[in-house]
Amino acid sequence: MTDMKLPSAMAELRPALGEIVGLGLGRAPYFSVLLSSRHGLNIVVDDREEHVTERQPAAGTVLSAFDGGTNFEHARVGFNLPEIQSAARDLVSRISFQKYAPQPEPERRGDFVTPVQIDPLEMSTQEKLDRCRALQHQAKGRDPRIVNARVIYNELNEHSVFADANADLAQRVQRVNMFLLVIVAGPTGEIRYDFSSKSGTAGWEVLTWSDEDIQHTIDGALALLSAERIEPGEYRLITTPGVSGTICHESFGHGVETDMFLKERARAAHFIDKVVGSSLVNIVDDPGLPGSYGSYFFDDEGHMSSSTQIVENGVFRRGITDRYSAAALEISRSANGRRQDFSRKAYARMSNTFFGPGDSTLEEMIAQVDHGIFLDKWSSGMEDPQGWGIQVTCHYGHEIKGGKITDRMFAPIGISGYVPEVLQSITAVGRDLKMDGGSCGKGHKEIVPVASGGPHLLLTARLG
Amino acid sequence: MMLNKIVEALKKRDDLAGWTVRHVQTREAQVYAVPQGIESQRSVENEKYLIDVLRSTSTADGAPAVGSGDASLLPGEDIDHAIDQAALVAGLVANPIYSLPGPAVFPDVPLCDMSLQKDASTVIREVMERVQAAAAKHSSVRLTAAECFGEVRNTHLVNSRGIDAGQESTQIDIEFVLHSRRGDRESETFDAMTRRRVSDLDLEAVLDDRVRYTLDTLEAEPPASWQGPVVLRNDALTIFLAGDNLNGSVMQTLGSASSKYAKFSPWELGKPVFNVEVKGDPLTIRANRALPFGTASDCFDAEGLPARRVELIRENELVAFAASQRYADYLNIPPTGAFGNIELPAGKTPASTLLAEPYVEIVQFSWFNPDPITGDFATEIRFGYLVENGTRKPFKGGQLVGNYMEALADVRWSAETGFFGSYLGPHTARFNAMKIAGPE
Repeated sequence: MTDMKLPSAMAELRPALGEIVGLGLGRAPYFSVLLSSRHGLNIVVDDREEHVTERQPAAGTVLSAFDGGTNFEHARVGFNLPEIQSAARDLVSRISFQKYAPQPEPERRGDFVTPVQIDPLEMSTQEKLDRCRALQHQAKGRDPRIVNARVIYNELNEHSVFADANADLAQRVQRVNMFLLVIVAGPTGEIRYDFSSKSGTAGWEVLTWSDEDIQHTIDGALALLSAERIEPGEYRLITTPGVSGTICHESFGHGVETDMFLKERARAAHFIDKVVGSSLVNIVDDPGLPGSYGSYFFDDEGHMSSSTQIVENGVFRRGITDRYSAAALEISRSANGRRQDFSRKAYARMSNTFFGPGDSTLEEMIAQVDHGIFLDKWSSGMEDPQGWGIQVTCHYGHEIKGGKITDRMFAPIGISGYVPEVLQSITAVGRDLKMDGGSCGKGHKEIVPVASGGPHLLLTARLG
Repeated sequence: MMLNKIVEALKKRDDLAGWTVRHVQTREAQVYAVPQGIESQRSVENEKYLIDVLRSTSTADGAPAVGSGDASLLPGEDIDHAIDQAALVAGLVANPIYSLPGPAVFPDVPLCDMSLQKDASTVIREVMERVQAAAAKHSSVRLTAAECFGEVRNTHLVNSRGIDAGQESTQIDIEFVLHSRRGDRESETFDAMTRRRVSDLDLEAVLDDRVRYTLDTLEAEPPASWQGPVVLRNDALTIFLAGDNLNGSVMQTLGSASSKYAKFSPWELGKPVFNVEVKGDPLTIRANRALPFGTASDCFDAEGLPARRVELIRENELVAFAASQRYADYLNIPPTGAFGNIELPAGKTPASTLLAEPYVEIVQFSWFNPDPITGDFATEIRFGYLVENGTRKPFKGGQLVGNYMEALADVRWSAETGFFGSYLGPHTARFNAMKIAGPE
């Protein structure tokens, strides 16, 4: 059993939270306290140097008072009891709250810890550094065109304690990810690179790299030296799970965050219980998915994690919520109220968002494509919830000709299109399901860890 | 008080080859509006102490080396424990030797809005009211969301070589969404701005512009494919040159000494930055941390290097890398400090001449995020105009496809300049031969 390892200042403050909540409820219709600590470690090892740095910690207390109209918050660094008592008194005393009866919520109590096999908090920094060095050593020098090989390890240790009138919750969420980046130089000095990554809400047990993984990354970088730009046009595509997940994330992820409904920014708001894609399309957000990088036990507003079916057999069912938008829209909550850290507001945010698996094999899908593109790897995406446009950039893709993937490579490749048209074009869904960890912003800020994924998909879209 | 205790504790450590400590305090007021009213009001107080230490170490073959480690402390936390942790990590690492910056004269770069310093929460409420009032003038458009943050930041830096300096800065961040509907067509414009001073926002003019874009988006159709002149102005040009919150620009990657040392950047001092023929105006770029009220300006950076205005590229030739002390030592070049803002000299052509028809103007990208190393991009266009035969035809969608450096090799810059937070320079650029892939 993995230990909670709650930071001592948080553990000392926790027994007093009930009293602070009571103090807030003396004036505010709803009052909660969140103690949040996010710290971690970054290690970078390459051919020329090494960096071991602390991830800049964010640790503080959020006092929230809500009257159904406005959420009033005070956030302050640290976990000092007298300061927080004083801040709570000050917060509620200077506001004239309107009358409001919060939705009844069940009792929620418990301590939750990410199960890990190799706990990063039990390992020494030396051991972590040595493991990064070993991977870097395996990759460097395998080809004379490699000018640098870089290993990047990120560890994020999150502790949260949440209390309101019906909740006394604590969680430790342990996230890790690691990148292998291979940089190569061509005959005229041109620089190209490829990367691969492993991640999870887990320990070091998920950061294992086979020799084949490493060679695949090197081969990708070398092949990019002769990659072509794709002729813009509409193509039949097969997307790998990472690319499928990014399409999912940018289309029916951001597009169904219900704070966007309130702000009239989401076209999906007009499509509840309407067809938005092929009947093969199922989309889910599930913060409780074991081991996936975007997982947690309860959100930053104290709502317990559970799965949300966003699209069911091509029909849009519901969005994902934070407390405020659920109250304003009078819909049931989902556990998606997330903050970048204590210094930021909670918004409706994704966790692990993915296309559900189907029943096709990859081989069957490839055989159906006479002329098309196999999109291997995504690099970025951006949402457009109101216009329902898709922008996903892929690091590279390969030609499919006569039902076979060829060595002809294109890079980079941008996917664009109108969300319902792209989802309607899906004609086969793979049996596999794989999640990719990453970071997600709301627009250009509010970064939270998430995962996106799905199976291989066969669809049609515009590439450029 | 705690800073003094940390400094005293660091001075007592004879196992350290050098150290830097920064005390960073921020006060922030935040307000969020939705159509139903004020969604949230927040006040945030944050404070931390950031310690970096160096230790003399050695490589596996016994050569002298240096290791670095860091630790962060919240007020009241155990100082000795944090320094022990940082020193322990520093002892694990063996990098080529580098130094810390020494004392210097720090320029007095203006970074503060006095009204924000005095009362950030009142200022941001007033700014929010101005945004709401400016939007309310237009009956055909609604403000459906707005966020306004005002921050005051104090940094005090002390290092083992004798730097002991402080600086105060302010920042205001605004986001807003305008929405319009005509029949079954809807449109929106999202915009985000960051400045040091409220007076640099020009809110009413910005809102008027964005209202026009929102209404024009109602008429926008997908573009036909296009190969020819593409014009970027103001904010779109700033994003192209300076990047955004999520990404730095290609220029910042390729022009940095750390990228050169890691062999990500193929650029060489004294050599052209282009590997294609330059058909447009010659390129000159400065990295300027001393730009008054620039959002990437400071008096000193995180290492303690003073703000400078550094010419990186002169007439297409690389003359300097932006270099921290560490990478300056590694490459044996002068340290410049953090990159800062991007500055370009005024061009020679009036903006009106650059708007000779026909051309495409891109007003807003979905996200301009070229590959930071290769410069290749294929980015969706959120909104733009095809300008020909005396008309401005709005469009939405399509992808701008190309390569960053190839685009800069064939561009003409306007004689008129503007200040856009992280960019100072020509407000209009005409890229002579760019490609837009239309959806049809």
